[in-house]
Amino acid sequence: MKTVRALLAGAVVVAAPALLVAQENGVEARLEARGLPASLAHSVAAIAAGASARGIPDQPLADKAIEGWAKRVPADRILGAVRHFADEMGNARAAVRAAGVEAPSGAVIAAAAEAMRGGMKPEQVRSVVQAAAAADIAAPGLSVAAALKAQGLGGEQAVKIVVGAMRNHESMAQLLDLPSIAWAMHDEGLSPGDIEHRMLDGGDGGAHDGWRSGDRGSRPSTVPSSGHDHFPGRLTRLR
Amino acid sequence: MTERDGFSANAHRYLDGEPFEELEGGEFAAADRLVADARDYAERIPALDPALDAAVMTAVRSRAGARKRSAVAWLLAPRTVSVRPVWAGVLAVAAALVLWLAPRSPAPAVQGIPASRPVADTVYVRFELAAPAARTVSVAGTFNGWRVGALAMSRDSSGLWSATAALPVGEHRYEFVVDGTRWIPDPTAHAEVDDGFGGRNSVIVVGPKGLVRS
Repeated sequence: MKTVRALLAGAVVVAAPALLVAQENGVEARLEARGLPASLAHSVAAIAAGASARGIPDQPLADKAIEGWAKRVPADRILGAVRHFADEMGNARAAVRAAGVEAPSGAVIAAAAEAMRGGMKPEQVRSVVQAAAAADIAAPGLSVAAALKAQGLGGEQAVKIVVGAMRNHESMAQLLDLPSIAWAMHDEGLSPGDIEHRMLDGGDGGAHDGWRSGDRGSRPSTVPSSGHDHFPGRLTRLR
Repeated sequence: MTERDGFSANAHRYLDGEPFEELEGGEFAAADRLVADARDYAERIPALDPALDAAVMTAVRSRAGARKRSAVAWLLAPRTVSVRPVWAGVLAVAAALVLWLAPRSPAPAVQGIPASRPVADTVYVRFELAAPAARTVSVAGTFNGWRVGALAMSRDSSGLWSATAALPVGEHRYEFVVDGTRWIPDPTAHAEVDDGFGGRNSVIVVGPKGLVRS
């Protein structure tokens, strides 16, 4: 039995660096398949492998490089952006870990990084992650908070709205509906401050369900409230 | 005890076909009688059946099959395996080499994976851009791997370009690509974010009940 354990331990010790190499090769192959020059793909893959060793997801970094290449950004700027994004995700990972999540998923780290790039502070990220009852709701929660902030709401208010929804045990669908509700209020002519007030306080002097996604009246008028997901009736015009 | 047991050593040699000296009186007669009996017995042995070979080979092959079955049983039976540490290292290196070589082929293209995809649902989204002077317009974003031309837009007589796509629920970033080279954010988007390259990406949040550009 000791021999078997020694065998497994040896395999792990030797295979761990090999896994990193394999991961790097996977990223590199993916980038080359998208037309990136081999040298650029190799450099990005090396950054991604280093990031991965620090617990940072490598696929968002590959995605960023692909985005830059598609936009015909020069290679040196792509590398700079990828490095910067890796640093951002490192900071985001630290913020998520500060919320008590020892090994955050790549989705949460990427969402936190995007939210922080949008202006959310580490402590705001921490608040959203801590309020998430399940790990899989933290990432969309961060995305929704970032979206609300991008609509003009204050970061603190956006976080309060999302945290409130999580504490009210709103479903994932209801959580993801919050930006639509906020924009419906915008369409009604409410200012970001009024939207914050209404979503946080219900706009009626303290009733806290005025912003709930179950409130049909607050839905965007352009979005049908029923129908099959693929039914054309759900098609929503952007303008 | 056989009849041969009472013979002298010389008589045993005689019977065995070996050189011998003198035989005691009567031993010759007894030995010759034994030899005659042996010949008689040998003549009475029936001839071998020609089909015997086939029967024997059939039996041999049957035993071979049984050995195969026992080999399977041997493989399936739990047993203690002892390996020298040096072989553990060799096996680990071999495993590492396999892992290193395995992902050489390009990974399958990942398209349309949003930053977060919490709900397995899609919503049809219509993109529109007024660009009367454009020759081609497409939408590229996180939902199609930023592939230029993957979501081509159609132009109407007024110069309004439009395209519809089924997007997974979640947050997506995108831009319009005019004439294949010019990237512009959606002018009607509710908000934009830094794309990290000095440009701006439009953001769309698709919820199960609908969407909003943010």
